[in-house]
Amino acid sequence: MNTPESIPTTSNDGSDMDLSPRTNVDGTAVGVKRKRNVVPLIVLAMVFVAGGVIVTQFLTSAVDYYCNVDEVGVRDGCDGDRRIRLQGTVDKGSVDIANGVTAFTISFNGEHLPVRYEGQPGGIFRECLPVVVHGVIDNGALLGDRVEVRHSDEYVSVNDERVADAQDLGCDAGSA
Amino acid sequence: MTTIDPARTELQPSEPPPQRRSTGTRATRLVGIGCITAMGWLVAFGLGFSPADRDQKESVRILYVHVPTIWLAYLAFVVTAVSSGLYLLTKKQSLGWDRVAGASAEIGVAFVAVTLAVGSLWGRLTWGVFWQWDARLTTTALLFVTYIGYLAVRRLGGSHQQRAKRSAVLGMIAVIEIPLVHFSVKMWRSLHQEATVANLDGDTKMDGIMLFSLFVGVIAFTFLYVWLMLHRTRAMAMEDMLEDRGLDDALIARRAEAANQQNGAH
Repeated sequence: MNTPESIPTTSNDGSDMDLSPRTNVDGTAVGVKRKRNVVPLIVLAMVFVAGGVIVTQFLTSAVDYYCNVDEVGVRDGCDGDRRIRLQGTVDKGSVDIANGVTAFTISFNGEHLPVRYEGQPGGIFRECLPVVVHGVIDNGALLGDRVEVRHSDEYVSVNDERVADAQDLGCDAGSA
Repeated sequence: MTTIDPARTELQPSEPPPQRRSTGTRATRLVGIGCITAMGWLVAFGLGFSPADRDQKESVRILYVHVPTIWLAYLAFVVTAVSSGLYLLTKKQSLGWDRVAGASAEIGVAFVAVTLAVGSLWGRLTWGVFWQWDARLTTTALLFVTYIGYLAVRRLGGSHQQRAKRSAVLGMIAVIEIPLVHFSVKMWRSLHQEATVANLDGDTKMDGIMLFSLFVGVIAFTFLYVWLMLHRTRAMAMEDMLEDRGLDDALIARRAEAANQQNGAH
């Protein structure tokens, strides 16, 4: 044994047994070290933080992502005097891009609202497609700082002979 | 746990060297060949035969990876839940079920990661943004994080049975998130569109070749899932065996030490 202070005892057969704890020369314990694996604990902590962030962001965004144009000032949470996300279909022939500003009109259920957006919308933005505009309503117009294009659950081939019909349908789909 | 011969204190020189073991078998190789073939078909249909979409143009091709990976992730998490239930509820409490549950969750997490990555690319091209905290994206992110937590719980330490019990409970609870993710676009207004194929009204609004390409994608990723499952469950069994052998070796070493001490005392 490598401990300086062994404790001698006697076993049943009379021989000496060393029952002192085994230690190294420096006094540290010998044997299997019970290493606590901290990586899973760190991952779990990160998971809790990430879960909290996700739920917080979700609640901040509210469960319903947008209000429709015809719900401004009517539906709870769709007040026109605060920041809002409005969904409507871009009216045909309404898009006008000039001096870095994109102006267009969105409509839903027969209600129309002019939109003014600084810049050029990304994604697949074009007339007759539904969009969600983030911004504030001022003097009857929505001053948008973000435009997101919604895509329907319909997938139509670009080679389809009924493209023209389908595009017309797209503009009529104001209730999407 | 492997059996220990109490008299055995060291490896005998006459013992044959341990065999090299692998997780591959004839069956896994066949599944692997099927996977490669189906992936080839997916590339051909996804990038070649399938037409561009009227609105999305070429970015529609992302769909052939995005949708199959999330469907297979759903399946993987259901397999995790069922295997967890079989582990907990059967008398034998076989660790084999636990390994199936763990392997399936690992693959499911990898598939959700692919879904989120390619989905954000599609979002940038179609919506104009990579990410938004709408109902579908948020619940999918929550699903992803939950199963990372499940995998972390599996590695907290303890015996194999302890690992199996605590992760089985979590595996059975976490699966309830799947209907929440899938029907989130029905329950709440979302930037993400509603389901085109896996919807309850049975109306699939998709061009024929696009739908077939999607079907090829599902077949290809199913092959990949099965192939990964076969390998991963066997690798996990080997890991468990290796851990047990480490304990056996420690016991053997301790006995040898005790025997040496006894010899020295006499």
